[in-house]
Amino acid sequence: MRETKRGNTGDVLIRVEGLRKQFGKLEVLKGIDETIKKNERVVLIGPSGSGKSTFLRCLNLLEVPTAGKILLDSEDITSQKCDVNRVRRKMGMVFQQFNLFPHYTILKNITLAPTMLSIMSAAEAKDSAMALLNRVGLADKANAYPGQLSGGQKQRVAIVRALAMKPEVMLFDEPTSALDPEMVGEVLSVMIELARDGMTMVVVTHEMGFAREVADRVLFMDDGLIVEQGTPSGILANPKNERTQDFLRKVL
Amino acid sequence: MKKFLTILLVVAMLIPFAALSETYNLATAGSDGELSITMGTNAEFPPFEFVEGEDVVGVDADIAHEIANDLGLTLLISNMAFDSIIPALTSGQIDMGIAAMTVKEERLLSVDFSEPYYNARQALIVKVGGSVVDAETLKDKTIGVQNGTTGDYAAEEYTADVQRFGKALDAVLELQNGKLDAVIVDEPVAKNIVAALGNPDLILLDAVAFEDEFYAIAVAKGHPELLEAINATIKRIQEDGTLDAILLKYFPTEE
Amino acid sequence: MQGFALLMPMFESWYAAIQERAVMGTLGFWENLYKEVYINFLYQERYLNYLRGLWLTLEVTFFAALLGFALGLVLAMLRVQAVQSPDGRGRRASSAVMRFLSWLAGKYINIIRGTPMLLQILIINFGIMAAVKNKTLIGIVACGINSAAYVAEILRGGILSVDKGQIEAGRSLGLSRMQTMVMIVFPQALKSALPSLCNEFIALLKETSILAYIALSDLTKAADYIRSRTYSPFMPYIISGLMYLTVVTILTKAVGVLERRLRQSDAGNEAR
Repeated sequence: MRETKRGNTGDVLIRVEGLRKQFGKLEVLKGIDETIKKNERVVLIGPSGSGKSTFLRCLNLLEVPTAGKILLDSEDITSQKCDVNRVRRKMGMVFQQFNLFPHYTILKNITLAPTMLSIMSAAEAKDSAMALLNRVGLADKANAYPGQLSGGQKQRVAIVRALAMKPEVMLFDEPTSALDPEMVGEVLSVMIELARDGMTMVVVTHEMGFAREVADRVLFMDDGLIVEQGTPSGILANPKNERTQDFLRKVL
Repeated sequence: MKKFLTILLVVAMLIPFAALSETYNLATAGSDGELSITMGTNAEFPPFEFVEGEDVVGVDADIAHEIANDLGLTLLISNMAFDSIIPALTSGQIDMGIAAMTVKEERLLSVDFSEPYYNARQALIVKVGGSVVDAETLKDKTIGVQNGTTGDYAAEEYTADVQRFGKALDAVLELQNGKLDAVIVDEPVAKNIVAALGNPDLILLDAVAFEDEFYAIAVAKGHPELLEAINATIKRIQEDGTLDAILLKYFPTEE
Repeated sequence: MQGFALLMPMFESWYAAIQERAVMGTLGFWENLYKEVYINFLYQERYLNYLRGLWLTLEVTFFAALLGFALGLVLAMLRVQAVQSPDGRGRRASSAVMRFLSWLAGKYINIIRGTPMLLQILIINFGIMAAVKNKTLIGIVACGINSAAYVAEILRGGILSVDKGQIEAGRSLGLSRMQTMVMIVFPQALKSALPSLCNEFIALLKETSILAYIALSDLTKAADYIRSRTYSPFMPYIISGLMYLTVVTILTKAVGVLERRLRQSDAGNEAR
């Protein structure tokens, strides 16, 4: 199973230039230049407070960059003229805390955005949602409320909710960190399947096994910068940088 | 048990009834040992009673001072809502009600009245060019009064739409704003307010005649000695010209 | 009411039996109590005065609550729009106009909560709405304007209590600020604010009593009116007080049931 087929990466999807982010006086991102290609699976690792989540959240503008540019499909999404709501439709996001809408059923959670934004008709949205739920094995929960689901089930629904928008890239912000250990597997297997289908993914995670299995590239971040990057085998087995070595010693 | 407690509570709230008409604090000792008599009034009725600085003054206050002097007591004045005066008398909180109060049969059921000291009629205030021009056109109109006053009773004879205010002035202001068609208050008060507002559109309408109204002083039932003392003072000030002097002081414009 | 009318002669005869001694002031406690109830409630169908007053009180409360909720909702929205997640169009989360309106809403809430309701009502009646003849309408507007400030703060608290992740999830799906507010934040905010809102409306019911000051014939004014006819020290207030108490008790019970329902559905949501 190790070193499964890597997707054929293609054109540039996201280009990040000189990205900086400050919260008050605290500089969390200190100038990041990075390129993510179509169909590429990028895993971000690093100690807590290294800025990896902030970096991810900047990509779909949940955090507004202090300086620098982010281009999606060659369009500058940090420009004032850019319609941020339209951009976000192309980027699915999965959160650590799931953030399902507790007052709606699972089905409504998934169909809400596609129907409200007139991307699909109600019937289309429902069909597509049911198909996706089937894929993650939760079709029977369509009419349940989030409160009735386990953490793993919630996160699988959250993934489906993001996929329902037919995004070009999926952003995962520590998707398994809030889960009980026995539920991590079910979420990871959905993500692995997604990777096999060729979805472009940027994943912040501590699951090194996942990185090894699906990542085309692993980025190690520390103190607001990308310190080292390379193939999973390169980074995880033979880290060059001292801080990377230090970090991996602690997590592996 | 809960029900029983509720009943107990309600009964406890009603205990003051038992004390009704038993208390009477004429000549009760004040804090400094001085003996006092308490007058209840509603100081919203110039020139009979109104507040000047911190004191309640006016025709009625001056008369009350005469009574207190004759009795050799200190006068205390309790300023309250007009419709609270008789309840305050019957519950013993005040000794005499002097508030431009008209002798009325309904009131005689609750209190006793002294000899009248002033003859006042009700006056009808309207706006020039308004819909009320006589008794006929007053019917079914919106009439403003002070709650519980003689004007209130008079207004009920004409309409079901009576708006009852705490202050006579408020009623006249509402008339001025066009929310009322007419206001019925005691004549001296009407003259006073209309003169004070200086609005040429407000006039007293003579076309509607009201009966004579006699102002008198109210005391709680069962106190003939107090009533006698009050009547004696009224008689004195009528005879020695004190009352005329008081009236002249507060009605300088009256011919 | 039919049965009541049949009983009236009996009540009248009881009163006739003590009437003479009532004038002399020699009634016992229970006789006096009966006299007070009779003259303040039964005599000349005076209970109808209270019922008409009660109806007006309910009418004013109902429409003032509607107005207060609508206006309060707008105020709350204006107050919280500044704290919502950024929009990506730069650092400013809202336009200058919106920030001005938000500031204005803050001032409104401050002024209304910082001044006595009685003064507001007098100012509205004798000043702002001096030309309006319909007293009921004035009462509704005055109470609605007052209630809106409190509703706004309750709703603002409800909106702020919604997890920030909910807003992020909505925005990350491409929903606009407004769509996120209406579809995601507001339903959850309303649910958590509902008990406080209901209590605000119950308080409003009692507070309408000060409309008696502008000669609106509500339940309190009805008591004033009866009292000015019977000269009873306080029995009319006891009667109208019991009517307020009855209505408030019923409403409080209803809110209790509502709260329990909400808690049950919450419990269902928390089950893991």
